[in-house]
Amino acid sequence: MKKLALTHIKANKKYKIVDVAADANLKSKLMSMGVYPGKEIIKLSHIGLKGPVVIKAGRSMLALGHSMAAKIVVEA
Amino acid sequence: MIKKVYLVGNPNVGKSVVFSRLTGVHVMSSNYPGTTVEIARGFLLTDREKIEVVDLPGTYSLEPTSSAEQVTVSLLSELPKSEIAVINILDSTNLERNLLLTLQLIEEGFGVIVCLNMCDEAGHRGVSIDIKKLEEQLNVPVIPTCAVTGSGIKLLIERLKEAIPGVRQKLDHEERWKEIGLIVERVQRLEHRHHNLREILEDASVRPVTGFLMAAGIIYACFKIVRFVGEGIINKITDPVFFNFYQPLLEKLTANWQEKGFWFHLFIGDLINSKIDFKQSLGLLTTAPYIEFGMVLPYVVSFYFILSLLEDIGYLPRLAILLDNFLHRLGLHGFAIIPVLLGFGCNVPGILSTRVLESKRERFIASTLISIGVPCVPLQAMIVGLLGAFGGFYVAGVYLVLFSLVVIIGVILNRTVAGFSPEFLLEIPPYRYPPLFTLAKKLYFRVKGFLIEAVPVVMIGVLVINILLYFKLFDLVTNIFAPIIKGLFGLPKEAIVALIIGFFRKDVAVGMLAPLALTAKQLFIAATLLAVSFPCVATFVILWKELGFKDLVKASLIMISASIVVGAILNFAVLR
Repeated sequence: MKKLALTHIKANKKYKIVDVAADANLKSKLMSMGVYPGKEIIKLSHIGLKGPVVIKAGRSMLALGHSMAAKIVVEA
Repeated sequence: MIKKVYLVGNPNVGKSVVFSRLTGVHVMSSNYPGTTVEIARGFLLTDREKIEVVDLPGTYSLEPTSSAEQVTVSLLSELPKSEIAVINILDSTNLERNLLLTLQLIEEGFGVIVCLNMCDEAGHRGVSIDIKKLEEQLNVPVIPTCAVTGSGIKLLIERLKEAIPGVRQKLDHEERWKEIGLIVERVQRLEHRHHNLREILEDASVRPVTGFLMAAGIIYACFKIVRFVGEGIINKITDPVFFNFYQPLLEKLTANWQEKGFWFHLFIGDLINSKIDFKQSLGLLTTAPYIEFGMVLPYVVSFYFILSLLEDIGYLPRLAILLDNFLHRLGLHGFAIIPVLLGFGCNVPGILSTRVLESKRERFIASTLISIGVPCVPLQAMIVGLLGAFGGFYVAGVYLVLFSLVVIIGVILNRTVAGFSPEFLLEIPPYRYPPLFTLAKKLYFRVKGFLIEAVPVVMIGVLVINILLYFKLFDLVTNIFAPIIKGLFGLPKEAIVALIIGFFRKDVAVGMLAPLALTAKQLFIAATLLAVSFPCVATFVILWKELGFKDLVKASLIMISASIVVGAILNFAVLR
């Protein structure tokens, strides 16, 4: 299965998070907001080239800054 | 025996609304995470006792990752667990995410009662939760509520005493999510529904093309409505009252007064063409009330009406997403748009709300930019009122200058201030239709807050100016500053008085410019200087509190240099 960063995936398709390659603090913050390995998400949009990525995780809609999104690895 | 009750929950689940319901104390609430930056305290009166209730800033877990969350966690350990009860407020439309904190609270041994808020909305969205089963799973009382209408609050109070510490095995986050998955499967039923209009709009407003189109439309409409409503109030209500009723009354009452006497000067001021001129007389009963009630208040009402509407619908976080890219270049991230928008009402709440930004660096940049480039409603109303007479072109010009300044100074600060700004991470709330009475209440409290804050200062300001003018004490100051004011900015030397008064109240300061008969160019420069230079004293105090003395000095130096440069450039290069 191909692994991709959140910034590089197609919108409106289901993906599964496999890795959150961030520092411990951010990792735990994302974890507590419901973004963690094993969670299924759908990307809603990506604003501009370096803009934030908007995802749906469970019933929450979350916006992540570009470089944060680049650290989240998903697979189809 | 419970001594204190803490309201704990994820951001934007309605903690502040529950707080208001329990204590009767009004606190600001909006539909975005992070409205509560100060801790509100109040009392819950039951038949027998009076218990203190504390409304805490929202947090996703008990391991704090921001300063607001830190506050929540440290306050929770203030008293022994046997003396406190935690009302854990959950958003029923998003049970899964909310349960993480709930499990943590129970595991830590707090006496917890779960308040399942926004139950009505969950119903509309096809979410049904089995309350009995959830109680069994968690082993704590669970009360469904709808805080906005007040339903369920009575039961919540009745069962508060059942919030006693229990025992639950401690897990780590990963195990907790697994556990939560199981719980949710057992207690929640989702009814599958097709996308309705609201959900289509929710998604469209965060997609690039449709998002920017909607943003442009919404911002344009807001400007139009603020102007339309503001002007409407002035033309239909305040001006008729002042000119057709108040002015003849004043003239009748003072017909026998000696025009040159001290008291006449104090209350009425100078007559222009032997008539009271509300904009120029500078008396305590003429210009002071007219500035506040006739020129500023109408726009305060219309601005806060629109802002409150946008806040409660939940549009602002979406604007934050769209502007994240741009604000990154200024060393901020998208969420900084919320302090900026609040700053357009009054810089004080704007700067206070920069607390939602994580780093000190961001707070410094945001506060400095707000005090330089974000004119408050009173200042804007006066600029529109006076400069607008020369044409809308000039008013737009002031905004353009301020916007360019924000961009230039922001880019410079981003390159020079040490440290880095954290990434944007924000939960986007669903759109909600705010009930009219909550909107009206919010508007009422904001307008009341404005009046309490502004009226005494305006009165004192006009009083002091009036006395100084009467005894001609300004001449000394004006002569000292004449070379700068005249030579550099091309303003008459009396304008320095207005600039100094601007430190106390921006609206009074612009009002002081009215009797000077300035040209359009001079008024343009003076208005811009008033916006850019020192903020008013209230903002100054908040800057000091929030940034500390050293950064306050830094911010002030930036403001002073920016004013001098901008004033001179406008005078010599741009406007001829």
